[in-house]
Amino acid sequence: MCENCQKSDLSKLTPILEEFSGDKYALISILQKAQEIYGYLPTDVIYEIAEKTSVSPAKVMGVATFYTQFRLQPIGKNLIMLCKGTACHVNGADSIERALIEELGIEDGGTTEDGLFSLKTVACLGCCSLSPVMMINEDTYGSLTPEKAKEIVRNIRLESK
Amino acid sequence: MRKVFKMQNDMVNLIIDGVDISVASGSTILDAAKSVGIEIPSLCHLKDLGPFGACGVCVVEIKDSPKLARACATKVSPGMVVYTKSEKALAARKFAVELIMGDHDADCQGPCKLNCPAHTDCQKYIKEIADGDYAKAVSTVMEVFPLPASVGRVCPHPCEKACRRKNVESPISIAHLKAFAADMLMKEGKAVEIKKHAPTGKSVGIIGGGPAGLTAAFKLAKAGHDVTIYDQMPEMGGMLRYGIPEYRLPKKVLRYETDAIVSLGVKFKNNFKIGRDATLDEVRAKHDGLIVANGAWKASSMRVKGEEAEGVWGGIDLLRLVATGQRPNLGSRVAIVGGGNTAMDACRTAVRLGAKDVFVIYRRTRNEMPAEQIEIEEAIEEGVKFKFLCAPDEVLSKDGRVTGMRLQIMELGEADAKGRRKPVPVVGKFETIELDTIISAIGQRNDPDGFDQLTQTEKGTIAANESDFATNLEGVFACGDSVNKGAGIAIEAIAKANTAACALDAYLKGASFKPHKPVLSERNVTEKDFTDIPRQERCKLNIRPGGERRLDFNEVNLPLSEQVARNEARRCLECGCHDFNNCALIRTANLVKADTKRLRGEFHPGFVERKLIAIERNQRKCILCNLCVRTCQDLAHKGLLGLVGRGFTTVIKPEFRDEASIAQCKDCHLCADNCPTGALKIL
Amino acid sequence: MKIIIGEGSCGIAAGARKVREALLNQRAQSEQKLVIGKTGCIGMCFLEPIVDLYTDEGQLLSRLVRVKESDAKRIYSAALDGDLSEVKDLVISKDDASFLEKQTRIALRHCGLIDPEDISAYIASDGYKALEKTIKSMTPEDVIETIKISGLAGRGGAGFPTWFKWNAARKAIGEVKYLICNADEGDPGAFMDRAVIESDPHALIEGMLIAAYAIGASKAFVYVRAEYPLAIVRLEKALAEARAKNLLGENILGSNFSCDIKIKAGAGAFVCGEETALIESLEGSRGMPRLKPPFPAEKGFTNAPSNINNVETFANVAWIILNGGEAFAAMGTETSKGTKVFALTGKVKRGGLVEIPMGLTLRDVIFDIGGGIRDGGTFKAVQMGGPSGGCIPEHLLDTQIDYKALASTGAIMGSGGMVVMDEKTCMVKMARFFLDFTAKESCGKCVPCRIGTKRMHELLVNITEGRGRPGDIELLLELSNGVKAGALCGLGQTAPNPVLTTVRYFKDEYEAHINKTCPAHECEALKKFSIDAQKCKGCTMCARQCPVSAIKGEVRAAHVIDQDKCIKCGACLALCKFGAVVSM
Repeated sequence: MCENCQKSDLSKLTPILEEFSGDKYALISILQKAQEIYGYLPTDVIYEIAEKTSVSPAKVMGVATFYTQFRLQPIGKNLIMLCKGTACHVNGADSIERALIEELGIEDGGTTEDGLFSLKTVACLGCCSLSPVMMINEDTYGSLTPEKAKEIVRNIRLESK
Repeated sequence: MRKVFKMQNDMVNLIIDGVDISVASGSTILDAAKSVGIEIPSLCHLKDLGPFGACGVCVVEIKDSPKLARACATKVSPGMVVYTKSEKALAARKFAVELIMGDHDADCQGPCKLNCPAHTDCQKYIKEIADGDYAKAVSTVMEVFPLPASVGRVCPHPCEKACRRKNVESPISIAHLKAFAADMLMKEGKAVEIKKHAPTGKSVGIIGGGPAGLTAAFKLAKAGHDVTIYDQMPEMGGMLRYGIPEYRLPKKVLRYETDAIVSLGVKFKNNFKIGRDATLDEVRAKHDGLIVANGAWKASSMRVKGEEAEGVWGGIDLLRLVATGQRPNLGSRVAIVGGGNTAMDACRTAVRLGAKDVFVIYRRTRNEMPAEQIEIEEAIEEGVKFKFLCAPDEVLSKDGRVTGMRLQIMELGEADAKGRRKPVPVVGKFETIELDTIISAIGQRNDPDGFDQLTQTEKGTIAANESDFATNLEGVFACGDSVNKGAGIAIEAIAKANTAACALDAYLKGASFKPHKPVLSERNVTEKDFTDIPRQERCKLNIRPGGERRLDFNEVNLPLSEQVARNEARRCLECGCHDFNNCALIRTANLVKADTKRLRGEFHPGFVERKLIAIERNQRKCILCNLCVRTCQDLAHKGLLGLVGRGFTTVIKPEFRDEASIAQCKDCHLCADNCPTGALKIL
Repeated sequence: MKIIIGEGSCGIAAGARKVREALLNQRAQSEQKLVIGKTGCIGMCFLEPIVDLYTDEGQLLSRLVRVKESDAKRIYSAALDGDLSEVKDLVISKDDASFLEKQTRIALRHCGLIDPEDISAYIASDGYKALEKTIKSMTPEDVIETIKISGLAGRGGAGFPTWFKWNAARKAIGEVKYLICNADEGDPGAFMDRAVIESDPHALIEGMLIAAYAIGASKAFVYVRAEYPLAIVRLEKALAEARAKNLLGENILGSNFSCDIKIKAGAGAFVCGEETALIESLEGSRGMPRLKPPFPAEKGFTNAPSNINNVETFANVAWIILNGGEAFAAMGTETSKGTKVFALTGKVKRGGLVEIPMGLTLRDVIFDIGGGIRDGGTFKAVQMGGPSGGCIPEHLLDTQIDYKALASTGAIMGSGGMVVMDEKTCMVKMARFFLDFTAKESCGKCVPCRIGTKRMHELLVNITEGRGRPGDIELLLELSNGVKAGALCGLGQTAPNPVLTTVRYFKDEYEAHINKTCPAHECEALKKFSIDAQKCKGCTMCARQCPVSAIKGEVRAAHVIDQDKCIKCGACLALCKFGAVVSM
């Protein structure tokens, strides 16, 4: 029934499903762990989780699309989370966003063709004093200027070549 | 004794809208109100599913509570005082409904129906024709008026002008399909069964047996009144009979339809002219109510020098003469002045009467001609010549007989308020043509003789109230070409006749008549909405060749084949909502008198899909009440539907685990049954 | 001497980990191995990374700020030698130090002072004494009474009396009761909860256990934002340490009281800060709020009685138990007791976490502690309460920090976000920012919020992009009031506040936008660039670089911008070496 006819290795789900077996409220935790494994939530994984947890696929899909953390599409190697919280807004997050869009050639939510970067704006990273801020994977970059943001991205691109 | 005590203990007393109510504890305000007949509208509530609270429509005010409460979810408490119609509650309710309507990109009714002055349900009868159920199609038309075959032939079809199919290639041939269905029935000699109410004992007189009078008679007879039509001409039909040439509307078709009205019990009194055979008062005295629909039978004058000469005709006078079987000799050179449908009827009649050179004199250009395009084309095919940008200046005559006409050459000046460019004379430029006959077809007006008790407008028409067509005389209503703005097209006269008949019916029953414009939802269509629709050209009409048809008065259009007609009907995009009559949303919108477009903006994602096999889902119509999702989960125990996404872009989508769940879905349509709008359509 | 590095998220983001590595490097090369420890967030985010030098006895000797990796060498040697003159330039200034000195810290009492990943550090600072006191000498009713006396109110935003909720949950009938900590700190601009968990996780755990004891809960959850990975790691570690010391789990400290705490990570939805939505999310569903009543105290998680409090609320509890409710109530105003933590950010000189007694004024916080506006700007407004709050203008700066007083301005206390704005901040764009946020975060369940906030956002977009029309402000107000009255949950009911307050205090800015000007010069579409003919040298640079060829002019003659073509990208302004391009 999977629409995109993905073929994910579903055996990787087994330990997660075992860990949470019997906990009928664990759907979000299961999805989080599944996303850690696959990088996103492929449709066949969603159906498998529904099957094994006896939750209807409609509900699993509903949960997976409600929370911004979940992705139904694969993302790039480096996930750029640009903070658009209040303090960042006041300190010019919009201009950082424009710079990143210009540098990467993708819009918010997009992934570069080479699969190196995905760009996602987020509500608040909680590093307001360093605003404007972005996080790339686990690293936080603060007090950004448009130029600085572009440079950070360029350096990561160089490093991964 | 113990039982009674327990009962009291379980009951809660409260006041809703001033009514003392005692209900079981645990009841909601909604239930409590319902128990005494106070209805609080709600769009997302179903008792079996428990409270949800999404729509925000059932809000009520509770005394001493600053916040509005949702009646569907708020439990009653002792001594509670609830106002369901307080200013605050009504405002919040209306606001919620207006927000929903502002995001509801859907049509209640098709543009065809809305643009028809009489609101004939075109989409419905087109569908019935597509299904091959012609009797049903004719009954659908007859809900509105009794002349489908006749009007189908002559109507300038405002419905087709609005038809959205034009955005794909061209509109549905609605008018012809209507005539086709009626013809099919006529061919088989079948008549539509008309339901008639029990006799009321009231008597109605109708003056004028044209489309307005016949429609009013039909409607009032169905309502159980005893109806008599008085008409000055030998047969009923009015302008349809005496103003439309045989080649467009054969008399026998019209006769078939007027006969049906007779069989409904309507009495026809022909050759009866008010002022000659009886006064208005005398007729009025015979009946409990009267409808005046005497039409506009006088041709307007050209107001040029010499027009009293012999050989100058009024367009409708000529048509009437020909309709009664006469064939006057117009000579060989004939000019018709005017650019409307009467001018076309007159010029084409002149051709058929043997005139060699027939000219249409029109002071603007073809682009500005009010006549139907098809009429103009057919006239050209029949050899009619057009002289544009000419206005009659003087009728030339010798010994009192027309010899020609001097024409003022015109040019187009600035546009008027309607955007039509005004013709202005080119100073000193004239042309003279030789003529045997001049036909003036520049308009028609009513004859007030015999109706002087009725107040007139400045134009000389009968003055009637626009909303119910009441005149200054009690129990006398007036409609059709003789009223207010004057002559128009048949379907407009029919529309007014329906309103006047309803008003008279109410008057006869002692009821009040309050016509209201219903609140409707209308789609905001864009080009994009039509790109995916496969093209299928409009059906070609079966028209006799020009050279052949100009020789006789036989009907120009030959019947459509059944296959062609049904294929044509299948082109319908079905814009109007299948659920219109059961839609809780539009009922509520009417209840709160919502402005459906005030809070419009971007619409939520809309798409139409058939994943539910037996049900078509139209996400555009969805208001996210979640009733389908909850029904599928909690009542059908299937859980096949779910919300996807968040916030404004949330949509509802089905997800099936396997073939088995598809099969499960197929046989169940509980979700569609519980949908408050037309978003779910059982196929 | 000990070297302690501030390693909260802010510090790490500013480079604290790199500084630590550099210092560890120095230690590896050095014969004498000094202790290099860490602590959480000190709250002086504007000075991060911060390195504290302590005596071996735990006396703070010096605080070094804005430390760079390259400073590691001299810091290490200074610490070795005990000679601080080498790092004089890094020592915090007196002015900056006053940022902390003017505060009264209860919820943040250990933040930046102890190692958050070491339970013994917490215990050494009187940690878990309150829990012991509670279990050994107080009845649940005593606890609730103490909290009642303290006047502690919900620090998450609503300000509801904490004892009342606890009491309701205590009295609710149910075999199992749940205690839930709301750590879904979603307000953009607030980060005190993150700081507490990262810097003092045991304070939260202890507060929660005391609450669980009071209401009779045996199971507890901390619902943490997924965006706070460090907080989750430290809390997990803290829970494990507490469990190992029998401070958590079965028969705590040998008593009959058992309670375990689990972490549930949120998955990104602001609305889950609303307690019924949070419960839905805990149950693994879409975080769509439920109707109230029933309140969670009656039917919460899995329909069992549940009590939900915010992180900061819990962080105060142990202190209150140890010091008495009266001590807490002695601080603050008639209606608001104790202290409150604020996340001071925006255009303020000194930004960070500020904990002060209720009753101080906004001016005290922004100017006295925060040092006023940075870069020579002038104060325009302070945004309080995030998307549910409002903008307070200059003339109300003397408003006391008090639930009631702040509410009267149209803003709210909220969770404590305090974003300061200067004259360059466009208030209409600010309102647009918040409505963009709430419209995106609306769960979509109820009509007034789902469609109403969307329409408000559309109007604000139009106004800020030069398509505003007369009547738009009135329509905005109508929508605001309609959404406020009709929305199902707190998110929707408060979503219009940013619009209502900005219209109330800055209506002239709205009107200016409708007349196609942005007084703060922030709204791109309303900007107008022109060339000062006096200053233009005719170098043709701008004309050549203009992406839409909107600039014309002969060489060495003044250039002109064709306003119809101009897309307001600002390229010319950035390029001109002569300052001839001006933005109006």
